[in-house]
Amino acid sequence: MTSLASSTSAVSSDLRVALIGNPNTGKSTLFNALTGLRQKVGNYAGVTVERVEGRYRRPAGGEVTLIDLPGTYSLTALSPDEEIALAVLLGQEEDVPRPDVVVVIADALHLERNLFLASQVIGLGLPTVMALNQFDAAEAAGIAIDVPALIAALGIAVIPTVATRGDGLDALRRAIDQARSFPPADLRLPLGEPITAALAPLVAKLEASGLEAPAAHMQALRLLAVPSPEPHLRSVPGVPEAVETARAAVAAAGRDPYRLEAEVRYAWIDEVVRGAVARERPAGRTMSDRLDGVLLHRVWGPVVFLTLLGLVFQAVFAWATPLMDGIESAVSAVGTWVSGAMPDGLLRGLLVEGVIGGAASVLVFLPQIAILFLLLGILEDSGYMARAALLMDRLMRAVGLPGRSVIPLISGYACAVPAIMSTRTIADPKDRLATILVLPLTSCSARLPVYTLLIGAFVPATLVGGVFDLRGVTLFSMYAIGTVMALVMAWVFRRTLLKGPVRPLILELPPYRLPRVRNLLLTVWHRVRLFLQRAGTVILALSVVLWALATWPRTAVSPELPPAAAAEAQLEGSALGHVGKALEPLVRPLGFDWKIGVSIAASFAAREVFVTTMGTIYGVSDPDAESGSLREALISARDPDTGTPAYGALTAVGLMVFYVFALMCMSTVAITVRETGGGMVGAKWAAIQFAYMLVLAWVAAYVVRVVGLANGWGV
Amino acid sequence: MIVEDTMRTFLNRITARSATPALPSSRVEAGPCAECALVTCRAGMRSVVVALRCDAPEACRLRTLGLIEGAPVTVLDCRHGLLLEVRGARVAISSAIARLVNVRPLAA
Repeated sequence: MTSLASSTSAVSSDLRVALIGNPNTGKSTLFNALTGLRQKVGNYAGVTVERVEGRYRRPAGGEVTLIDLPGTYSLTALSPDEEIALAVLLGQEEDVPRPDVVVVIADALHLERNLFLASQVIGLGLPTVMALNQFDAAEAAGIAIDVPALIAALGIAVIPTVATRGDGLDALRRAIDQARSFPPADLRLPLGEPITAALAPLVAKLEASGLEAPAAHMQALRLLAVPSPEPHLRSVPGVPEAVETARAAVAAAGRDPYRLEAEVRYAWIDEVVRGAVARERPAGRTMSDRLDGVLLHRVWGPVVFLTLLGLVFQAVFAWATPLMDGIESAVSAVGTWVSGAMPDGLLRGLLVEGVIGGAASVLVFLPQIAILFLLLGILEDSGYMARAALLMDRLMRAVGLPGRSVIPLISGYACAVPAIMSTRTIADPKDRLATILVLPLTSCSARLPVYTLLIGAFVPATLVGGVFDLRGVTLFSMYAIGTVMALVMAWVFRRTLLKGPVRPLILELPPYRLPRVRNLLLTVWHRVRLFLQRAGTVILALSVVLWALATWPRTAVSPELPPAAAAEAQLEGSALGHVGKALEPLVRPLGFDWKIGVSIAASFAAREVFVTTMGTIYGVSDPDAESGSLREALISARDPDTGTPAYGALTAVGLMVFYVFALMCMSTVAITVRETGGGMVGAKWAAIQFAYMLVLAWVAAYVVRVVGLANGWGV
Repeated sequence: MIVEDTMRTFLNRITARSATPALPSSRVEAGPCAECALVTCRAGMRSVVVALRCDAPEACRLRTLGLIEGAPVTVLDCRHGLLLEVRGARVAISSAIARLVNVRPLAA
């Protein structure tokens, strides 16, 4: 990202342009229409707010770097997104030069509300252009906007656009090109003499801190309304005190300082709208009103929601499987070809099992990530996601999470990796972090091979209540335990580590719209690319490390041993085998031996590795969860000291409970590091997540063991 | 166009029966002078915001969305918190917030 940041300012024909606007104004569509595939997605320094930049060529030569700022209703800076937007516009954001031009995108259907942000941006004094988007929808709704009157009122160029069709884009590009050649708009809201005098000391203080006059006036008015100044102003000597003094002076002048900005801006907006907007016919019941009648219905609302969730879950779980199988087959074919082309030895082992095996571990996630983000994009762009958040809000707030958390949590039943990535839609940092920390407790699809193997081997096919198969009940119980514990831990975190007020729901419901295919595909592409760049490299590196731990030190084995037995001996003598033996005292109280310890340690790469490692240990070639040979091997395994069965139903249940709670997935750890801030901050949260889940897993498996032994449930 | 017309017909039939649900007795009838909490207003009621008594961050956010003192607001739905029409946009707020917004109902 730094290469993008430093490139443009030195070349006079290049421009840096910031794109800002309310959510649901078509900002992403406009951004995609202007930049196409020439986009980069990353993060702003130190926060998990996305930094999206793209480029296009100027009509007269040179390049425009377009920065897509987070959607925001104002520059109030109450959330990380809003803080970033304001910081970028003021040139206060690290590694992001101040933009040369700002494009405010406004929704022509809801111009009144959009003018609040527009007036703040214009008040900063930067060359500004307004893209009046969804102009066609406004005309269809009977809203007539006098664009020249609007231009006169705002003092900036206003370009009607329909981003979905590409209408107005050429005019917008020309307006952006010419914006710096016009004098900046002088938008000073009428305050009256007493208020102007009350604000004068604060304005002077802000100018002394480096702000130019127009921005200082806008900031002074804005600072009265916010609970506290943003971080970079809090550190400027005298500013917080000047704000308090200004508030007292405004109150003495007979106005409420906290209401002043909103009152003054909306009074100005009302005047602008009176002069430039006419409704040619009364607003009637829209399609959105009718759809909400069903989708927010007390009964039908939750029914539709659960149906859609089931569809998402089914798609990520089932539709992705053939694609994942295809990827595994393709990578396996590559591995086989490399194996055949190279002589036997450590290099071949490194390439095939370490690198190619590691690559498979990364690539296999792509179908699930692509499908999940495609479906989430459809729900978001259609406007339904906001309704879903509203429906689930009350239930989720009981455990301290927002309604939006339910989508990532349900997605976690398929795979935690894309589910954690999808938490970016949760605005509040503590809400998002709590969701990420508990999400892996929902039993993902990778645990299923472990459950299937153990249930198949040790849980009898008896009927419970004469109706339900005990094996099905056992499987369902594992999912239920994980779900309940996720909600419990969310409640605990929001009252301890992530303590803070549960912000009540305030949410705009956008009108329903048909999602744009181009936007959806671009979103999926960016998510896939982000995953490959950030998490994929970590996962691949860890795969190679785990292969090395399972390979060294080399053990001298008799050449007369069959291959499976030789592999078992090698594993036992390797570093990973020594880890398993070292772990045995820790896992013995749970009823596990060193073999299960090794398999648990190896399954940190991916939970399914537990099955293949147990297969290696018990000399089963090509093991999988369904294979009878591995089940039989586990059933017939004997304790070498006593000769009694090594494993039974109690061990199986304890092991399954262990896997319900333990975070045995390096991919999840890698993505948690990424999504919780990266670097040391992200590593800290990932470590907390891993540690608490490991403790939960151990304690729960121990409780199962103790209770089971006390009740005579065998081994 | 055909799809839209079909959906419109279907939705008209469904929503024709989903009239405003029975209201709890605490919900007020429209009256030009009474001041009450927004949470007590029924669907369809228009009122004017009198005061925002919520915490500063919530009050700031509500004012940004146009819910300022003196602004007209219409309650569209009260099945999941409150769904309001504010300056032409639809805003959902929780009942907890709605309890802290004082309004003066307007005559029907």
